[in-house]
Parts: sequence; C-alpha cells; structure tokens
Amino acid sequence: MSAETETGTRAGRDRGLLGRVRASPFLSELLSNRLALVGLSIILVVVTVAVYARAFVDFETITRVQFGANPPRAAPGWMALFGTETQAAGLLHYPFGTDGQARDILPRVLYGAWYAMLYGTITVGISTVAGVGLGTLAAYYGDVTDNVVMRTMDVLLAFPSLLLALALVAIFPDDLGLWRAVAALTLVYTPRFARVIRGAALAVLEDEYVDATVALGARDPRVLVRHVLPNCLAPITVQSTLNFGLAIIDLAALSFLGFGAAAGTPSWGLMLSNGVERGLLTGEWWWSFFPGFFLAVTVLGFNLLGDGMRDALDPRMREAID
Amino acid sequence: MVSLRFVAKRLLLLVPVLFGVATLVFAILHLSPGNPARVIAGNRASEEFVRQIERELGLDDPIWVQYGRFLADAAQLEFGESYTIQRDTAVREILRNKLPVTLELAIYGQLIGILLGLPLGILSAIKQDTLTDHLTRVGALSGISVPIFWSGPLAILLFAQFLGWFPTSGRINSQAFSIEPITGVITLDTFVRGVEATLSNGFAVSDFAPFFSAVEHMVLPAATIGIYSMALISRMMRSSMLEVIRQDYIRTARAKGQGAKITLMKHGLRNALIPVVTVIGIQFGTLLGGAVLTETVFGIGGIGTLLVQAIEVGDYPVVQGTVLTFAFLFTLVNLGVDITYSYLDPRIQQ
Repeated sequence: MSAETETGTRAGRDRGLLGRVRASPFLSELLSNRLALVGLSIILVVVTVAVYARAFVDFETITRVQFGANPPRAAPGWMALFGTETQAAGLLHYPFGTDGQARDILPRVLYGAWYAMLYGTITVGISTVAGVGLGTLAAYYGDVTDNVVMRTMDVLLAFPSLLLALALVAIFPDDLGLWRAVAALTLVYTPRFARVIRGAALAVLEDEYVDATVALGARDPRVLVRHVLPNCLAPITVQSTLNFGLAIIDLAALSFLGFGAAAGTPSWGLMLSNGVERGLLTGEWWWSFFPGFFLAVTVLGFNLLGDGMRDALDPRMREAID
Repeated sequence: MVSLRFVAKRLLLLVPVLFGVATLVFAILHLSPGNPARVIAGNRASEEFVRQIERELGLDDPIWVQYGRFLADAAQLEFGESYTIQRDTAVREILRNKLPVTLELAIYGQLIGILLGLPLGILSAIKQDTLTDHLTRVGALSGISVPIFWSGPLAILLFAQFLGWFPTSGRINSQAFSIEPITGVITLDTFVRGVEATLSNGFAVSDFAPFFSAVEHMVLPAATIGIYSMALISRMMRSSMLEVIRQDYIRTARAKGQGAKITLMKHGLRNALIPVVTVIGIQFGTLLGGAVLTETVFGIGGIGTLLVQAIEVGDYPVVQGTVLTFAFLFTLVNLGVDITYSYLDPRIQQ
C-alpha cells in the first residue's frame, strides 16, 4: 500500500492540487466519506471559534466576578418564550444564561474552544512525538532497546488511563493549573502511540527498500527519518486524530474533578463542574448544558474524522467499496 | 482447550508488570510535593512533632529502605493506615468497604453495554449501509463522544429533576432504610435481607422496599456508564461482524445451501465475537475511569470518589492502595481476557 501511495503522489505532483487529491487513494476515499467531512467541518468551525475568542473576547472580563454588571444565575433570555421568568433584558440577551458569579456564559463557552484546542494540541503533539520516537527506536534497534522501552510502556498501560492521570497529576504543584493535566495526560498517551508506531515501523522495516537503503550505506538516522517515518505517517495521523477527541475529554475530566484549570478559568470541564455542583439541583441547567454540549460536539468532530481516516486507510474496506 | 502451560506463562509475565506498577506508584508518591508527616500533624504542629511522626512512619529512612518496605507490604496487599480521611483505619479495610460499590456500578454498566451493544452491532452489520446502520453508527459515535460528566448531569436533570422518575443521588434512601452490609453490593444485600425477612415472617412487599430503593438509585448511574460502554461494544461488534461475513467459509456455508440466518449465527457470530471479547476487557479499564466520574456526579461513595478525595488532602497510603488496587484489577481482567481469547481462538497459544 505504501508503494502505491508513493507512486500516486509522485504522479500527482504534475497535476496540481486537485489531481494530487484524486491520485491519492487515501485522500479521495476520505473526501468521499460524508461523515468524515461533517467531522472536518465541525473541527474547522471549532478552530474558527477558538481563534475568534482568543482575538476578540476579553479574557479579563469573562474570568472576573461580574456582580453588578450582570444578574447572577439568570436564565437565557429566549427562555421567556417558554414562559420561564428570566432576568435578561431581551430574547437574545444572555443566550446561554449567566453563572453563579454573574458571568455571561456565552463568551466563556466560546473561549473554552481556545482552551480545548490549545491544550489538546499540546497534549497530543507531545505524546505523538514522544511515542513516535520511542516506537521507531524500539522497532529499529530491537533486542534490549525494544524490551526496555516496550516493557516500560506495558507498565504504564497496566493502569486505567484516567486513574493513572489522576495519580500523576498529584506530582505537579497546584499552581500549574491545566499544565499539570497536560503533563499527566502526555505520560498516559505516549505508550499508546509508541505501541501503534512500533507495530507500523516493524512492518515497514520488513520492506525491501529499507534493506536496499541500508545496503547502499545509509546510516541509522537517515533510514529512520527518510524511509521509516514517512511510511508510518498514516497510522500516526489516524491515532493522533482519534486521540485528540480523547485528550479533550480527559483534560475536561481532570478539570471536572478539580485537578486541572484554575478557578475562574473558562475551560469547559471546569464550567461543567461548577454548573453540576451548584446549578444542577436548583434547576439552572444552562450552566452545565452549554459547556458540555460544545465539548461533546467537538469530540464528535474528531471521532468522525478519525473514523473516516481509519476506514480510508484500511485496504480491505477500500476493496469492498471498489 | 486452554493449556495450563499457557496460563502459567501469562501469570509469570504478570510479575514484572506488577513489580513495575508498584515501583511507579512508589515513585509518583515520592515525587509528590508535600510532607506526609506534615499532613498528619496539621499545619499548626511544631517542627519537632513533625519530625517525631516522620520517625514513627519511617520516613527518615533512606529511600531504598522505604522502597523495600513498600514492595514487601504491597506484595501482602498491606497499604498502611489512612492519614486523614479515616484516621488510623487500615487502608485495606477502607478499600474493602468501597470496592464493592465501584464494582457493582461498573458491572451493571458493563452488563447494559453488552446486552444492548452486541445486538445493535450485529444489526448494524447485517443491514450494512441502510438507514438502520447509519443511525446506529452515528448513535454509537455520539455515545463515545459524549463525556460521562455531561450525560450524567443531563440524565439527572431530565429523569430525576424534571420527570421525577428516579432519585438524584446516593445509593439508597438512607433516611428510610438502614442496611447492615453483607457483601457491600447494595442491590444484592438488600435482596438477601428481603429474602431473610420473608423466610422468617412470611412474604411482605415492605421487606423488599430497601431493595427497590437500591435498584431505583442504580438505574441512572448504571445507564450513564452503560450507554458509553454500549457505544464502544456495538462499534467493535459491527466491524468484526463485517469482516467475518466476507470470509470464504461463510460463502462456502452459504454455497452448501445453509440458510442465511443459521450461517450468520453458527459461523459468523462465533468468530466475530473473538475480537469483541478483547475490547470488552480493555474497556473495563475505561469503565473504571468512568466509574470515578459517575460516582462524583451521582454522589456515590465508591473507590473513585475516595481516590479523588485522597489526592486532594494528600492521604498517601489511601492513594497508594487505591491506585494499586485499580491497576491490579485491570491487569487481572486483562489476564482473564487473554485466557478467554485463547479459548475462543486456540491459534493464539502457539
């Protein structure tokens, strides 16, 4: 399959972008998958919202307690349509309501997208790089290196992931806020990447062109970087995409349990936690509903795209469709 | 048949992993900031008193002495006494009380997941690319995308607050009933007590009132975990079934004139179930993580809420005991999965 992709892209180079997409069985397969496209669109929207919020929403205002400026625990303005009493001035006022600190929830939820994308990217990015490094080294050098690396990974994989993250979070001081959740989750995810990449790299190493390169006198780094890694890109991308959704959930989960974002921070997990703790039994549903909804939709986007990518990569699926 | 050799080999392989697990937990706790002696003594205690506690706990010994002692204790499932949460109570005792609570939740959740997930996955595969299939797939994908700490609160809002069908939190109506625990599994205990009362005084519905209360409290949390687990299982079942349907032996069976349904059940399902068993085992870990969140949302005092509380206050022996127990359980489940797998697919053993 890798050889096929290789010739595909080479032929596509002369045909411009569209030609290249058509020539790549992976991309054309992916782009004909409607659900994957829905996922991609969701991610693009979330990224846009995240960048917009970072640029135009005043962080200071949405973090601070807002008594005086807004009524606390106000129902969304449009709920007046359903006969609910609300302190909002009009139907479009406070569309997501306000929380116990009298903060408008809408800009906070929008800003939460920035948090989710930023910290999600960092978590997945570091664990991908670490996992790729460890996985390829283990596969390439085999023997002792392989055993040491993979047995260490086995130990990390012996814990249920959220629990290991919880235990690891305890190592880092409180004032690190979300960063300690990032650090803990990076350690939790790295073994998964390492295992997948090791498998992929082992398969690539079986290929004859690797033997040929070695016979031609290429050194280890060159073989690894120029030949093994590019041919492992596909499984790496799929794993990262699927893990991205998980990372966003787990980051929020740690914040929800009180081991992530610092008080007041507009992170979805923390907003949900406050909403559940203080607004659930009093019926102020909007407080926890909106952050959770955005969180779930974002994760769905990554899962849809990741699923589509995996299907597009699986040659058996392609055969069945052809 | 599963050979004894295979099982023995798997068990032996567990030893280094568990050793590594224990070492990691020891390392985590020693890297954590904060002095346990200070936690016990409290903030206002004198420096001298803190030193004295350090000596009593052996915290002034060299690190390798502490490590050796820790390993020896862990091997005997001895985790010391709680510092603050239940002062001077053996961690083992605390875990014995809390573990059944979490296991009960996880097992009911898993059962819901299996009972709904398998049929849905099979249905989706048989009806590939129909509306049923699309709906099931999108439903399953949504199921794994919705975090438990959002679906749980939503369930409380809708079914407990708005419709009033179920209680909002807890394990039983504790104001009305007090139940002397037998196993700690509340639905079982209340049922046994009901049967006992029936045997001694004859049947009365009121004898089973605590049982009904316990079941009522279990519905929402178990369903919250169960839906997540259902989504995972149905996805796996679908793809596994699709793969099996394309195999030559299925075509052969059909060519011999065997009916579609019988082929599917006799040859398809049996083989398709093999990888699903693995997924069910692996996701038991996810389920345990889910139990931590579910317990928090529904105010259930299990091992998950215990861990969160212990980390917050720095009760190290409890953290140690809880994390090790979770890892041990998870490893055991995976061993069970390996053995089941090799029973279902004897090729694995070679």
